[in-house]
Amino acid sequence: MKYQSQAVAKPYFIAAIGLFLGQILFGLIMGLQYVVGDYLFPAIPFNVARMVHTNLLIVWLLFGFMGAAYYLIPEEAERELFSPKLALAMFWIFLVAGAATILGYLLVPYATLAEMTGNNILATMGREFLEQPLPTKVGIVIVALAMLFNLSMTVLKGRKTAINLVLLLGLWGLAIFFLFSFYNPANLVKDKFYWWWVVHLWVEGVWELIMGAMLAFVLIKVTGVDREVIEKWLYIIIAMALISGLIGTGHHYYWIGTPEYWQWWGSVFSAMEPIPFFMMTLFAFNMVNRRRREHPNQAAVLWALGTGVMAFLGAGVWGFLHTLAPVNFYTHGSQITAAHGHMAFYGAYALVVLTMISYTMPILRGREANSRKAQVVEMWAFWLMTIAMVFITLFLTAAGILQIWLQRIAAEPMGFMAAQDQVALFYWMREITGLVFFTGLVLYIVSFFIKGEEARAS
Amino acid sequence: MNPVPRRISPAVLAEVLYLVNLLLAPGLAFLALLVLFRRHRASADALTRIHVRQSFAASVVAGMLLVVVPGLIALTGDLSRPGIWTLLLLYFVSCHAGLVMLGVLALARALAGKPCAYPLPGALR
Repeated sequence: MKYQSQAVAKPYFIAAIGLFLGQILFGLIMGLQYVVGDYLFPAIPFNVARMVHTNLLIVWLLFGFMGAAYYLIPEEAERELFSPKLALAMFWIFLVAGAATILGYLLVPYATLAEMTGNNILATMGREFLEQPLPTKVGIVIVALAMLFNLSMTVLKGRKTAINLVLLLGLWGLAIFFLFSFYNPANLVKDKFYWWWVVHLWVEGVWELIMGAMLAFVLIKVTGVDREVIEKWLYIIIAMALISGLIGTGHHYYWIGTPEYWQWWGSVFSAMEPIPFFMMTLFAFNMVNRRRREHPNQAAVLWALGTGVMAFLGAGVWGFLHTLAPVNFYTHGSQITAAHGHMAFYGAYALVVLTMISYTMPILRGREANSRKAQVVEMWAFWLMTIAMVFITLFLTAAGILQIWLQRIAAEPMGFMAAQDQVALFYWMREITGLVFFTGLVLYIVSFFIKGEEARAS
Repeated sequence: MNPVPRRISPAVLAEVLYLVNLLLAPGLAFLALLVLFRRHRASADALTRIHVRQSFAASVVAGMLLVVVPGLIALTGDLSRPGIWTLLLLYFVSCHAGLVMLGVLALARALAGKPCAYPLPGALR
């Protein structure tokens, strides 16, 4: 690596992978609970498994983003990180707070946890994805602000590039929009309205900036294409992401009690949301086609291309599938949403973090690329996880279509649980493909321990 | 590395029209692609010839896969059964997404000044 302080990225990446493993384990537990309702009950009730699954996702992605930023920013700014010690201190604070929170979910009844952690002082708990106790939320803000201070000082004193500025903008946006998790109005409509300012404006807004910057960084490194070309693409992609994504928030406002005009605004703007993902795919493949070098880390190239494709399919296509108000009238809150959520999170954010890890980890371990043998195992991991995710999405989509028909279209609509019984076959198939995904993840972890001669550029 | 064309070449235009036919203006974009195909199918420039012929043939196959096959499912299946709808929608969404993805890959190749080959039966080489 070019700068010693980039090494602080390593523990962040290791923690991210560990938490990713935990997320998948709880996903498997929950997947089984869909069909075997009392599995692990009362030790791990479904609502707790779900909370752990989704919270671990968010936390490992945040670890990944932070690690990636600590690696990327010094290299782009062409100077050492402002304070590596601060970055390491924040790592331990975040890890301990994250682990304590997950243990709290698992060991203490949620209502008791709320009482113990000051939810009566400022009520912020009980909302999907933002279930974290108040001290954890405060901890996230402290860690994020310390990181932003550290990274911003590095950029201010160093070279400013489109990539590090877009990444910083995305990270600042991440921190700012998280502040809405502290605003919890009693009015349920207002509550949901602002809740989406965290959830939607993260994943369909500022996170796309982070993703675009990370993808651009890796593509410059592995293709050798001129920075100017890649930066032009990046500008257009982030412009489209913000133009479509900000007002696209309206697709969450269709049925929550907000004015009817949101059905138009939401439909029109979110119909444009696939555009940045479409462009990212085109961008990634175009850059690889125009490459000036054969980088020895072919696994990183594969992860980068996979990010483009899977983000477009998961976030773009499966998002568009149910985003128009007349369609969403039938599909909202069904397994179609779950199908979209799984592939979009995997394609856009899990894969981009894994792309960064794949590119940077060999360098952090003192070589440009891993051995061919290790890369082959890593590529197997990519294909197993990606194909499994495609099938998970297809099975959930099938379950969703059937569920909608039975619950919302049939002449004599079924109740929710009766319809769930009818789609159990798809849940079983999803669970089996989940095991394939898990196998891929285990192989991915194994690939870090495979030794051999460093791969060279062909 | 092949030189990157400065203006929109017929090769790029052909791939764009293939995608527009799938995403924005089905039929209309196909007619424009047909005109382009007739004009450039025997072009002396191999890159133009390959992209124009490939994208036109792929559009025809895509039309079959997205219109004829769902039509057959709808005609032969009992549309009052939810299973048929599940099959129909799943097929259409997956097939359409796959065809769009092939178009993106082909467009990326055209933009980079490289030939492409759609992995579809009947595609003109």
